[in-house]
Amino acid sequence: MPIKIILAGEGGQGVQTVAKVLALSAQKTPKNISYIPSFGVEQRGGVSLAFVQISSKQIPYPRFAKADIMAVFCERAVGAIKNYLQTSTIFIYDNSAISEKKLAKVKNIVKNYLAIPAQKIAQEKYSVKAANMLFLGALLSHLKEISFEEVEKQVLKELEDKIAKKPEIKEKNLGALREGLQIAQNFDSSKQPFEGMAEKDIQREFKNDKISWTRFPEYCKGCGLCIVRCPVHALSFSDDTGFLGTPLPAVDLDKCTACGNCQRICPDGAIKVEKQ
Amino acid sequence: MNEPAFPKVWRKESKPHKFCPGCGQALALKILGFALDELEIQNRTVYGCDIGCSLLTWNMFDFDTVQTHHGRVLPTMVGFKIANPKAIAIAFMGDGGGYAIGSQHLINACMRDDKVTAILINNANYAMTGGQMAPTTLASQKTTTTPTGRDFQIFGNPLHGPEMLANISSEGAYIARAISSNYQDTLSKIKKSLQNQIDGRGFSFLEILTMCPVNWHTDAQESLDFSEKEMTKIFPIGEFKCPSKLS
Repeated sequence: MPIKIILAGEGGQGVQTVAKVLALSAQKTPKNISYIPSFGVEQRGGVSLAFVQISSKQIPYPRFAKADIMAVFCERAVGAIKNYLQTSTIFIYDNSAISEKKLAKVKNIVKNYLAIPAQKIAQEKYSVKAANMLFLGALLSHLKEISFEEVEKQVLKELEDKIAKKPEIKEKNLGALREGLQIAQNFDSSKQPFEGMAEKDIQREFKNDKISWTRFPEYCKGCGLCIVRCPVHALSFSDDTGFLGTPLPAVDLDKCTACGNCQRICPDGAIKVEKQ
Repeated sequence: MNEPAFPKVWRKESKPHKFCPGCGQALALKILGFALDELEIQNRTVYGCDIGCSLLTWNMFDFDTVQTHHGRVLPTMVGFKIANPKAIAIAFMGDGGGYAIGSQHLINACMRDDKVTAILINNANYAMTGGQMAPTTLASQKTTTTPTGRDFQIFGNPLHGPEMLANISSEGAYIARAISSNYQDTLSKIKKSLQNQIDGRGFSFLEILTMCPVNWHTDAQESLDFSEKEMTKIFPIGEFKCPSKLS
C-alpha cells in the first residue's frame, strides 16, 4: 500500500522545503516516490500544499483523493485540506496555531491525531522558521523506513546556502528536527486531548476621551507602513499577531493626534481612527 | 462591533484581499473604492482586470467584474462601452499588460479617444511572476532577469506612458500620473479620470506608481523611499493633459 502524505501551511512556512527533504531522503530507500507542490497565484500569503507518495509499486499520478498522513501547519490551511481527510488519516497539527473553532470540523472525521505545539516551541527554543522541522521530525515517527540520518543529511544540504550566511541556524534546525521526533514518539493520544489553541483575546480598540483608534487583526498583514507614516511616532509593533502571524501595530494614545495618516496608508483597511 | 473603514464598493466577503503585505496596488484600489463611493456610480460601473497582480481583484469590488486575456482588458472594456454607453467602464491593468503585451491597445484606444477610464499600476517590475524586468523598470534597477541592474544600452530606457499618450490624445482626454502613497492627490486624479468619462469628454488614462516590497526586497520605509524618491525622479507626478472643464 502506498503511503499518501499531505503537508499544508501558509506560503513561506517551509511546507515545500519539508516535502522536498522528505522526498529526497525517501529516494534512498528502494521505494518509489512522487512529490508535487500546489499553491495559489499569490506571491505571498496563500495556502501552500504538498502531495507526497511513497509506494513499493509504480505511482501513476502524483495527486490523490484521500491522505494517510497529514501535517497541518497553520489555521488557514485547515479549510484547504478538509476534502482529503478520511477516518484513518493520521492528523498532525499545531495546537499552538490552530484554534479550537477551526479544529471542530476535523474532529468529526479523524480519529488518529498528533498535537505538536510547533510554533510555540520554535519561537521559544529555536527560531520561528524552524517550526517546519518539528513537523518533519513528527512525520518521521510514522515513516519508519526513512532513516533519520539521511533526513539530517538532506536538511543540511537544503539549508546549505543559509547556513553559510548564518552558521547558528544549523543547530537550531537539527535541534528542532530531533525534538519533533521525540515529541511524536512520546505522544500518547489517550492522555493528551484533541484540542486546538484557546481563543486569544486581542485588544482591538484603543480609546481615550479624545481619540478612538481601532485595529483589525483579521485584516492586518503587518507591513508596517502605518508605523513609518506616523508623523509623531505614536505607533509601534506589539506582541499581538494578526491572521498571518505577523505583528500588529499598537498606538500610544498620549502621542497620537488622530491625523489619520495610518488609516489612509493602510492597503488592507485594517486601521480606523476617529476623533470623539 | 466597530466596522473597518473600507470603501462601500469593496466586497467585504473577499477581504482580507490577496495582495502581499504593504502592496501599493491594494492601496490604489482602496483609493479607487473611495473615489467610486464619492461619485456614487457603483450601480453603473463595470470593471475589467488584466492578468498579473491585477487579476487578484476579480472579486475585490461589489459590481460586475470581468477578467480578460493578458493585455486585452482595454479593448474588452471599450467593447462594453460601445454596447452600453451608459455604463462606466474601468480597465485596470499593470505595467506589463498596458505597456508590453497590450501597448497597441492602449495607443489605439487613446487615438480613437474611446470614452473609457484606464488605470495602470506601475510598480517597475512583473510582480506576480517573481519580479522580472518590465518596460517600466528603472535604469540600473535590479530584477530577477537583470541581476546586475537594467542596462539601458541593451534594454532601453523605461517607458513613459502618460507622456507618450499625451502627445497623441485628443482634446477631451485626461492623462495623468499619481503615486498611491499620496492619498489626496490620487483620490482627486481618479475622480477626475472617472468624471471625464461620466461627462463623455474623452479617453482617461491614469498611471499610478506603487511599491512592491516583496519583489524589491525592501521594508516599509525603503519601499516608500524608493517609490517616492527614486521612481518620481524618472516618472514625474502630474497631469499631462486635462480638459479645461475638469480643472
